[in-house]
Amino acid sequence: MILMEWLQFVLGVAFLLAGVGVFAVQVFGVFKFDYVLNRMHAAAMGDTLGIGISLAGLIILSGWNFASLKMALIIVFLWNASPVSSHLTARLEAVTNPHLERCCEMEEGVTEHIWDEDQKEIIYADKTRRRNDGCI
Amino acid sequence: MEHSWIFISILIFLAILLLFCLIRAIKGPTIADRVVAVNMMGTMVMVIIAMLAVYMGEGYLLDICLIYAMISFLAVVVLTKVYSGVYLEKLAKEKRRHQKVMEAEIKQEEEFQAKEVLAKKTGTEEGGERL
Repeated sequence: MILMEWLQFVLGVAFLLAGVGVFAVQVFGVFKFDYVLNRMHAAAMGDTLGIGISLAGLIILSGWNFASLKMALIIVFLWNASPVSSHLTARLEAVTNPHLERCCEMEEGVTEHIWDEDQKEIIYADKTRRRNDGCI
Repeated sequence: MEHSWIFISILIFLAILLLFCLIRAIKGPTIADRVVAVNMMGTMVMVIIAMLAVYMGEGYLLDICLIYAMISFLAVVVLTKVYSGVYLEKLAKEKRRHQKVMEAEIKQEEEFQAKEVLAKKTGTEEGGERL
């Protein structure tokens, strides 16, 4: 029984330390890369792997009860939320960067648009950008 | 808990990482950089809250952690939507201004040409009269 408790403690702390290590790698990567779409690769690591391993360690530490179920729920929620937020952030970068084609290849343009009430026309992010390139 | 120093040191380390995330959020050249950094900070704060829940033995802190996760996700969604909308508005304004300037230039050119033609006409007529 003492061995089991000891094993639980050591395993939990090891998982926790591994998760914190993943967080450290994430922050290092975010400072190492130069461009947002590269940085996002490093930043998404902590969202799934880092918090997954950390909360797995905490689940092992806290034992089998209702709290560990909630932690598992948090992990599952982040598995779903992290790709969506990464997608939205990449989309924001694609919309707001005026010189995106210099930074990466794009197969098709961005579809974000706005209805201009004064001119009575739709303004697309990339078409408008290409027309008066350099003046924005 | 007899090994509380492990928890304390991990919490301090996470706080230092959080500080670096904050530096990234301040430095980040584009707006997407800042959103990524804020998202990272949210994840780390979630781990800190969950660790505190286990360390203090308070289960209800995990509910706060879950709500924090949802609010952080919602914040990213809202920020990206708002900033792309703001950028598109700026684009539309820029385009409108550009069009107005072009129209004014064309008008000026036409007026100038009309004046020139008129001047030539009157000039020749006057010249004829003088001669």
